[in-house]
Amino acid sequence: MSAGGLASGKPDGEWLRVHPATPFVRGWVALAAIGYFFGRDSFERMLQGQPLIDDRIAGRAPWLLGAGALMLVLAVLSFILSWYFTRYQVAEGYVRVNTGFLFKQQRQARLDRVQAIDIVQPLLARIFGLAELKFEVADAGESAVRLAYLRIGDARQLRATILARASGVRLDPAQPEAAAPEAPEQHVLQVPPSRLFGSLLLSEQTVFIVLGAAASVVLSALTENRAFFLYLIPAALGFVAAYWSSFNKGYNFTAAISPDGIRLRYGLLDTQAQTLPPGRIQALKVAQPPLWRLFGWYRMQVNAAGYGAGANNGEGGSRTTLLPVGRMDDVLNMMALVLPDPGTADPLRVFQQGVNGMDSDGGFVTTPRRARLLAPLGWRRNAFAATDTALLMRSGRWWRQLVVVPHQRTQSIALQQGPLARRFGLADVVLHTTAGPVAPRVIQADLREAQALFDAQAARARAARRRQTSEQWLAQLDQRPTPASQQEGQQRG
Amino acid sequence: MPTAAIDPPGISWLRVSPKYITVRLVEWALGNLVMVAVLSLPLVFVRLGWWRWPPLWLAIGLPAFMLLLALWRLVLIPRQVRAIGYAEREDDLLIRGGIFFQRVMVVPYGRMQYVDISAGPVERGLGLCSLKLHTASAGTNAGIPGLPAEEGARLREQLSARGEARLAGL
Repeated sequence: MSAGGLASGKPDGEWLRVHPATPFVRGWVALAAIGYFFGRDSFERMLQGQPLIDDRIAGRAPWLLGAGALMLVLAVLSFILSWYFTRYQVAEGYVRVNTGFLFKQQRQARLDRVQAIDIVQPLLARIFGLAELKFEVADAGESAVRLAYLRIGDARQLRATILARASGVRLDPAQPEAAAPEAPEQHVLQVPPSRLFGSLLLSEQTVFIVLGAAASVVLSALTENRAFFLYLIPAALGFVAAYWSSFNKGYNFTAAISPDGIRLRYGLLDTQAQTLPPGRIQALKVAQPPLWRLFGWYRMQVNAAGYGAGANNGEGGSRTTLLPVGRMDDVLNMMALVLPDPGTADPLRVFQQGVNGMDSDGGFVTTPRRARLLAPLGWRRNAFAATDTALLMRSGRWWRQLVVVPHQRTQSIALQQGPLARRFGLADVVLHTTAGPVAPRVIQADLREAQALFDAQAARARAARRRQTSEQWLAQLDQRPTPASQQEGQQRG
Repeated sequence: MPTAAIDPPGISWLRVSPKYITVRLVEWALGNLVMVAVLSLPLVFVRLGWWRWPPLWLAIGLPAFMLLLALWRLVLIPRQVRAIGYAEREDDLLIRGGIFFQRVMVVPYGRMQYVDISAGPVERGLGLCSLKLHTASAGTNAGIPGLPAEEGARLREQLSARGEARLAGL
């Protein structure tokens, strides 16, 4: 019946349904809305000591009640139908999900193209012990395949199965139908709530709020207009909501490593467990807002295919965060997970110079001195360095930032020069990666250096791609990959 | 040659068809003449006495300024078109463009997801087409406009074949 089939080791290819409680967990918002709509009026009357139903419409009350009940039944029925017609199957290297009652849709995703896999538990689902399984294949935007809701144990089991197939692990030939065991994991780091709280207080947002508040106080003193404090109330509410959402998302952030990839877990009310398989990170950014320097804190964000550009909307913002706030050793730990082979003899020094350093220490090539008029603060900091496996780009004197792009993840490269840069003999090198919060760019490099980098980087990316033979990270077999169009949505009337 | 400033040395660029200048001219005319006409409306209204605002100097100055800008862009078009170039190398395609804001881009064949060919009405009339390359990155804004139709078809076949041979995952 439910996903229990997989856990109990039933054969492949069976079409399964999600948990029967799904319609209610999903539809509770609609039910609550209907309840609110019809209940509010009666409740207010009750509080005022009036009869439950207005006298003027009392004669029609049965009709109204009937209409309400009909809507309720229709809503519940539609959720139940949608549950009934949602089936999924894991077989032959594909996950297929069929949905839809009138408009049927079949989605299929190739397992070896799975870029990331999440288990999401909204609060209500968490109460019932249910979870949503969501996985991204290599495509931008609305391509996630979602399975909601499964029992939490089944969701974990299915995740293990998908990751096992995706990694190309050899199952026991004697028992090909046995469920894949969950990969063991090793705890890497945890962000204490106090540090998260502190980091939010010292974030860029706070700086802007303080500046905004100061400006409004000054303005009100100058214009003697007290009324516009009223306008600040919605703004304040917005800020509180933003802080709350960051806190809720980042609470109890835990990172662990398993053979299946990096596991990230976080959330106060709604919890989420992400798995990023090895080599799926396209670009990485370590950033430090000015106030965080007091405590030596850093933030890490990644571009991963399928997470999309949603850097500012809540969900995408938290999913692209590799580390909401951490110290230098946390950063280096995570860096080691993302880039197991740093490709340099002294990775510690190179990365530390990249995050905090200046000038050409650690093999960095900076903006030439003649351009110090163009970048009076940044010229000693703007720099790039290439190791055997990745390109490091650092920038920002106040807003420190280091971007790392593995060579084999480079999509295309552009060399750019505007009129002002031409005066100073400078050029920018832009590396294109999948959509996300990280935009890799070498700014204001010497023209000759930039040209050399442009050529060398194209060659390095080429060589790195040759080395990488398979998408299945455990079975690096000589397997010919097929085009990345892995999803076929079919619509039938 | 001023356009040679940031190119990697030793590359012989293939240029796009000079007929593409016509396409750009038509686009320029449609875009700029409409804009200047719309911006001139206040002048007409002020002259007719329907509007009190804006003052006459502003009503004349704004469309005149835009007209100057448009003419400046018009003068640049032939040079811009001549600056567009592409070169097929062993493992990647190079595309260059721009005079003031120069750009050279390298797109590895193995990274190309698909190749589009499109042709607008003016391009079709002149026997031209535009080629656009797509990788997994939205930032790869790699297009070659103004290719002769048969050259576009040849390039597409060539790119597809080479992409097939060198296809890599993400």
